[in-house]
Amino acid sequence: MKAVRAYLRSPAGIIGAVLLVAVIAAALSADWLFPRDPMALAGRPLQWPGANPRLPLGTDNLGRDIAGFIFHGARVSLLIGLVASVVAVGIGVLVGAVAGFYGGWVDDLLMRITEAFQTVPNFILLLVLVAVFGSELEVITIAIGLVGWTAPCRLVRAEFLSLRSREFVLAARGLGMRDAQLILGEVLPNALPPVIVYASVTMAIAILLESALAFLGLSDPNVASWGNMIGAGRSVLRTEWYVSAIPGAAILTTVLAFSLVGQGLNDALNPRMQVL
Amino acid sequence: MELTRRQALAGAGGMAMGGLLPGLALGQTSPGAPQRGGTLTVQLTSEQRVLNPAIQASTGVYVMASKIVEPLVDLDAAGEPTGVLAERWESAADGLTHTFFLRRGVTWHDGKPFTAKDVQFSAMECWKKILNYGTTLYQFLDAVETPDDHTAVFKFSRPMPQGLLLRALPDLGHVIPAHVYAGTDIRASPANTAPIGTGPFKFAEYQRGQYLMAERNPNYWRGGGLPYLDRIVWRFIADRAAAAAAVESGQVQFSPYSGLSLSDIARLSKDARFTVGTKGNEGNTAHTVTEFNLRRKELSDVRVRRAIAHALDLDFFIENFLYGYAKVGTGAIPSSSAAFYVPRPAPYPFDRVKAEALLDEAGYRRPSRNGQRFAQPLKLLPAPWGEYTLNFATFIQQSLREIGIRVEIEARDAPGFLTGVYRAHEFDLTTGWHQYRNDPAVSTTVWFRTGSPVGAPWTNQYGYANPAMDAVIDAAATELDAAKRKALYQDFVRLAIEDLPVHTAVEHAFISVYSKRLMGSHNTPRWASSSWHDAWLAPA
Repeated sequence: MKAVRAYLRSPAGIIGAVLLVAVIAAALSADWLFPRDPMALAGRPLQWPGANPRLPLGTDNLGRDIAGFIFHGARVSLLIGLVASVVAVGIGVLVGAVAGFYGGWVDDLLMRITEAFQTVPNFILLLVLVAVFGSELEVITIAIGLVGWTAPCRLVRAEFLSLRSREFVLAARGLGMRDAQLILGEVLPNALPPVIVYASVTMAIAILLESALAFLGLSDPNVASWGNMIGAGRSVLRTEWYVSAIPGAAILTTVLAFSLVGQGLNDALNPRMQVL
Repeated sequence: MELTRRQALAGAGGMAMGGLLPGLALGQTSPGAPQRGGTLTVQLTSEQRVLNPAIQASTGVYVMASKIVEPLVDLDAAGEPTGVLAERWESAADGLTHTFFLRRGVTWHDGKPFTAKDVQFSAMECWKKILNYGTTLYQFLDAVETPDDHTAVFKFSRPMPQGLLLRALPDLGHVIPAHVYAGTDIRASPANTAPIGTGPFKFAEYQRGQYLMAERNPNYWRGGGLPYLDRIVWRFIADRAAAAAAVESGQVQFSPYSGLSLSDIARLSKDARFTVGTKGNEGNTAHTVTEFNLRRKELSDVRVRRAIAHALDLDFFIENFLYGYAKVGTGAIPSSSAAFYVPRPAPYPFDRVKAEALLDEAGYRRPSRNGQRFAQPLKLLPAPWGEYTLNFATFIQQSLREIGIRVEIEARDAPGFLTGVYRAHEFDLTTGWHQYRNDPAVSTTVWFRTGSPVGAPWTNQYGYANPAMDAVIDAAATELDAAKRKALYQDFVRLAIEDLPVHTAVEHAFISVYSKRLMGSHNTPRWASSSWHDAWLAPA
């Protein structure tokens, strides 16, 4: 409860939460407001927003209803963000916890592997994974998670390094707790706050990465993702800029929402910011 | 110093020209007369990394290499064969012997004389053995005899119609120097990326991924001050938005083969500084097609293929997706082919009710009102050749959804697409481009005949086999009587429509966008693939 109150004291957090709720509401209401398949031909292509009352945001260059596409696209983007973050943070926490807790050669080995991943730019690695494993939505989501695990891994390791020799851990060890109990029960809960903050950033990055892939025409063309519409609109950018701009604004809103929520969480979970 | 020497040379050229063509020299000030000098910059969306048109038949090769390496024959403004390295030709009545009398006084860019031995080498070692499409066309070419240095006699073991040979030679008849290639591994020759030819321009520099540059050949055999241009630069600009910007800013004077996005083409067509159109590309008509993989059980039923064809509202597609730059295809031979086209209506007009009825009849009923007719969705691989094929894929997906067939699009890059479709056959539907090259036997019938080796791109790899089809294709390719040949190709078109292994849905010529400064251009049916010896740039 204290954390919630702390969160609500952060203006950034409140704005972020409102935006995020709006995006989630769009995702949930998509089927109800736009029962039509978002990929279907809704009318003549390239109708400007407002020109046709039936299609409030107009149509893209493939004749799809942009409004319906934005609402259905919210689901895809949120799903990609959520699953990719779970994958990235999951792997990161696992590797980081083991490396930070045990130290020594285990740490050396795991950190060299992490560094090997870090030396390859995220997006290049993602392109390689998509080229090898294909561009279905499931593959892309997991691939985005796979390229993003190094940062949470470093974060968790650093927390573990500082926590593992604290008194309460030593006390627990003295009580005869096994390593798994120590990691999961004692150290990890105390290492989590920065990871939770970072996870919100990971979601934003995941959505951006999928959009970048789609912009290059490498994302799954069978799903209504915002990036797909930006990619399709690229060829008419000079004349019908709204085809790219509208999904661009949707991505901006969502990424901003996640970032602001992250900031709010940081304020709420940071002990130094807490008002006593 | 440099400048004055150049001016002096230009003056000398002008005087020499004046002697031959008095009108031209006097016309230096009038806007209609050709001017010497200048650099023509051309935008290309991709590069093929092969500049030897004797071993790779592709517009992407011709658009660069045909300025350096010349064919025996090209097409004139009326679309009729006209001699380039061959001055004239005669054919025996049985169609087995074709004699080409070669131009005298032609030298290669390295100074060696051009002779019949070069023609013999190109035909027997390259066109017959390596060149795609050539291996089919020249399979019955037994020998090229060279009674003297300026006569090449083509000996066939089966009749070769003269009209077919002459219409194939502009694409499948480029001559490369025997003294450079003989005794080497032709495919691996360094001359394939630094070609030596007889053309109006000499190879100068090739920076992969950036540009190719060719310089004026001062010893060009046409003389008369030709060619007019000093230099041609081909710049590789893959991003279509950047390409449009380069054209608009004047950095590039010519964007061939629909290299810009259709919306930019439509926009620039209203700009007075540019000429936008299909004139000069009539010899490079293409169909945007759907290929059906007949190995897939549902698609092996012709009723299903016909239902899919009926489900596509092509008029809507062309008007709204292609900005009207196309027309509905009527068969495997496009309407631009004056010699072989017979007008006919679009074979599969848009009729959703009929499409659904055909599917019901084939036994693929909808399980419920909005249910799927097939247990598995159809996998569609769109050819990554640009908007026509990518938009068509989406349009097929949208259209088939309406008749209860779910389509999943799998986007791949060019090598992945070619391997997936033509070697691994891991597709149900594709969209692609089929190019028609002046005669159906050059590169059209290979789409329907059996016998292409697995992996040969742009051939029948969809498991289609009909002995009647093979028979009519073979009969037409060796028929010497022009009228009978034309009649046989009508049978071919009818059979292709009936069996429908490929739906030649949309016919379109390529669109050129070029600066109004570029003169003497687009005056032949395959101009972008021709030698550009008479092109010139008006002052800015």
